[in-house]
Amino acid sequence: MKSILTILIFFLAGLTATPQEVTLTVDAPGVAAAGERFRVIYTINSTDGQFTPPKFDPAFTVQGPQQSTSRNVQWINGDVKTIATTTLIYYVSVSEPGTYTIPAAKFETKKVVVSSAERQIVIAPAGQAPAAVQAQTQGQGQARTAGDIPSAGTDVSLRLLFSDREVYAGEPITVTLKLYTRINLSGLQELKYPDFKGFLREDIETPPLRNLETEVIDGVQYGTGVVQRMVLYPQISGEIRIDPVEMTVLVQERSGSRDPFFDDPFFDSFFSSVSTVPRKVTTQPVTVRVKPLPTPRPADFHGAVGSFALESSLSSTEAKLNDALTLKVVLKGSGSLNLAGEPLINFPQGIEKYDPKVTITGPGTSSGSKTFEFLLIPRNPGKFDIPPVSYTVFDPKQEKYVTLRSEGYSVNVTGTPGSSEGAAPVFIPGEDVKYLGQDIRFIRNGNGRLSTAAAPLVTELHYWLWFALALFITAVVLLLRREQIRRNADVAGVRNRKASRNARQRLARAEGLLKSGSKDQVNAGVARALWGYLGDKLRIPPSEITRERCYALLRQRNTGEELISELDRILTATEYSQYAPVSEGESPAALCKRAELLIGRLDNVLD
Amino acid sequence: MILVAGLVSLAGQTPEERYSQAGVLYGSGDYSGAAAIYRQLFEEGFRSGDLFYNTGNAFFKSGDNASAILFYERAKLLSPADEDIDYNLQIARSRITDRLETVPQLFFVRWFDFLSLLASTNFWAVGAIVLFLLSLMLAVLFLTRARARGRLLSFWLSLATLLLSMLLISLAVRNNSLVNHNSRAVIMCSIVTGRSAPGETGNELFVLHSGTTVTVEQELGDFREVRLPDGNKGWIRADCMEKI
Repeated sequence: MKSILTILIFFLAGLTATPQEVTLTVDAPGVAAAGERFRVIYTINSTDGQFTPPKFDPAFTVQGPQQSTSRNVQWINGDVKTIATTTLIYYVSVSEPGTYTIPAAKFETKKVVVSSAERQIVIAPAGQAPAAVQAQTQGQGQARTAGDIPSAGTDVSLRLLFSDREVYAGEPITVTLKLYTRINLSGLQELKYPDFKGFLREDIETPPLRNLETEVIDGVQYGTGVVQRMVLYPQISGEIRIDPVEMTVLVQERSGSRDPFFDDPFFDSFFSSVSTVPRKVTTQPVTVRVKPLPTPRPADFHGAVGSFALESSLSSTEAKLNDALTLKVVLKGSGSLNLAGEPLINFPQGIEKYDPKVTITGPGTSSGSKTFEFLLIPRNPGKFDIPPVSYTVFDPKQEKYVTLRSEGYSVNVTGTPGSSEGAAPVFIPGEDVKYLGQDIRFIRNGNGRLSTAAAPLVTELHYWLWFALALFITAVVLLLRREQIRRNADVAGVRNRKASRNARQRLARAEGLLKSGSKDQVNAGVARALWGYLGDKLRIPPSEITRERCYALLRQRNTGEELISELDRILTATEYSQYAPVSEGESPAALCKRAELLIGRLDNVLD
Repeated sequence: MILVAGLVSLAGQTPEERYSQAGVLYGSGDYSGAAAIYRQLFEEGFRSGDLFYNTGNAFFKSGDNASAILFYERAKLLSPADEDIDYNLQIARSRITDRLETVPQLFFVRWFDFLSLLASTNFWAVGAIVLFLLSLMLAVLFLTRARARGRLLSFWLSLATLLLSMLLISLAVRNNSLVNHNSRAVIMCSIVTGRSAPGETGNELFVLHSGTTVTVEQELGDFREVRLPDGNKGWIRADCMEKI
């Protein structure tokens, strides 16, 4: 429609072209971020001539040029103007920050040589002034070029806004994904997040983007809107790069070629059709520095990073046996609530603990809280102390660990174990003794009688000499004793030798009785003396001695019959006097004499 | 300051006072302080099962498992029937690095060693002398008595006491060799390499960590040939072990 109308107008106007002056203009941003690709555009209002590109600095990475020519014929107040335009676009990126100069480029026609102005460009360090760069780029990226790049260009941009770029591990970062646009958008499509390696991502509920707000950046008006808010929890430390977020926006674009003459909304609506074209927008990659948490970590640190307060409450301090109690521990504040582990509480034995019920409200905000609800069931009556909860968090603002404490409680449990209080009888099984830990046994604290060790006797020679000495003494004792035995062995010989002496002694004793004693006793003494003498001399044991045996032995020894009969008479006399107390015959004194004589004579015979 | 004051006050005290002071330190949690006093008493030549047991405890609590094992082993030689020592020794052993299968001793060797450690060397030695004298007296009686019944009794009694006396002598010798010339040693270096020859040139055979008990078989210069509880042998630097 539009093109047909234009041709019609051309025909109506006629054609009278006038020559005009050749100009070469350069269009480049004044500021760019290091590594960012920007465009340097040369525009020449002529099509025939020789373009000499400028000598770019060696630090520049140059792609291009992308060349396009166009020719316009204008008819103004009867004058026909032909506008020919050559556009050369260089895509340049510089990795080193600094100030650079783009030298002049030349354009040579048959008649004249024109040169462009030199341009200063400041390359800012990456990520330092993205807004300014973005704004500059957008402000200057006005040139309409044919064959636009597939991205939405600089009219639409997407940015990730970080609450902090330098955080501790676990410290939450609030990230806002925001859209900036200078053109009309008809919608958003396909939001593609990178995998946020090293982070735990949690989206915050964000109302869908309907209306754009107006924001002026560097004098340029943008329509802005928050696409998504989220909280990132760094899991590892170090410099972590977050890859770009990609989004497809639907851009409203006029399908026909643009004509300055009809560049008017009224004509747009009439003469051009507006089509919706999907375009891709991406964010710049961002690097976040994550500092590790200081070591050593306290034992009761369970991963909570942020500024928190701890509260606790117990449902009741009076409880009945087997009735449930609830201990609530609330961690309030801003920080990594969902990374905060459950507090370790040493509940007294006799109270059964169940795993806590955990609820989180408002994560990522300053008024978030995490509630641990412990269900406790007292299984034994008595008084129990629930110790204060000690919970250590890392406060990134103070850059140190902070230990939070809640109050402790004392619970009084009443009831009788095993008794059925209203309920059905409960079977209480016997409990095994619980072993809580293992440790060495305690030291001995007796009044230690310390003594130094004596030298061991077995290593001393004198110890062994004692044994030898004992043996030696024993040997001597045995030898002496043996000698004595040998000498005592001839008992009969001794008796023989001592026979007459013993007999005489007995006779003497019998004689002694003559004066005082009775006649019987004297006779008995004489008999004993004689029998003893005979026993000793003839070696007859006293129990076996008889007259007959004595006489036989005496005869063997050639004793005269006269002596034997004398002996017989004396023995008979003594016996006779014993059994016939009325005395006849000899007096005891005479008997003694005769016995003495007899012994003397027998001695002579028997020796 | 407190430490210096403690050392000064130590100097003038009797061993018994220091012993009980170490007990107080142990009770209050100053384990390394208690261990230092106990160790000093040991260096001065004091010997008792309780002293060594306490020393082992103090070392264990202050984290030195190797010294703890060393002193528990020493305590075991002086009071073999003390069940607490066995218990603590077993705990200390469970905390060391090396896990070695121990080849158990023959039961009668174990019994005999246990018996020999129940009393001191000199107790057995004096007992042996007394029994020997008794045996000799009975022998004399047997050789000189005339009555038949008494003779027989004294003969058997004499024989029995003689055998008992010989048993006591062997117990005394065994006790002496266990207590005063024990060939076992505890590794004190945190890590040491066992080699196939004395010196640093032999092939590396095994690596031992502190707290392992070994048996010294040979000595050569600064090196000792040790036998591990599982029966393997190798040479180890002498300054890396302490004899029990």
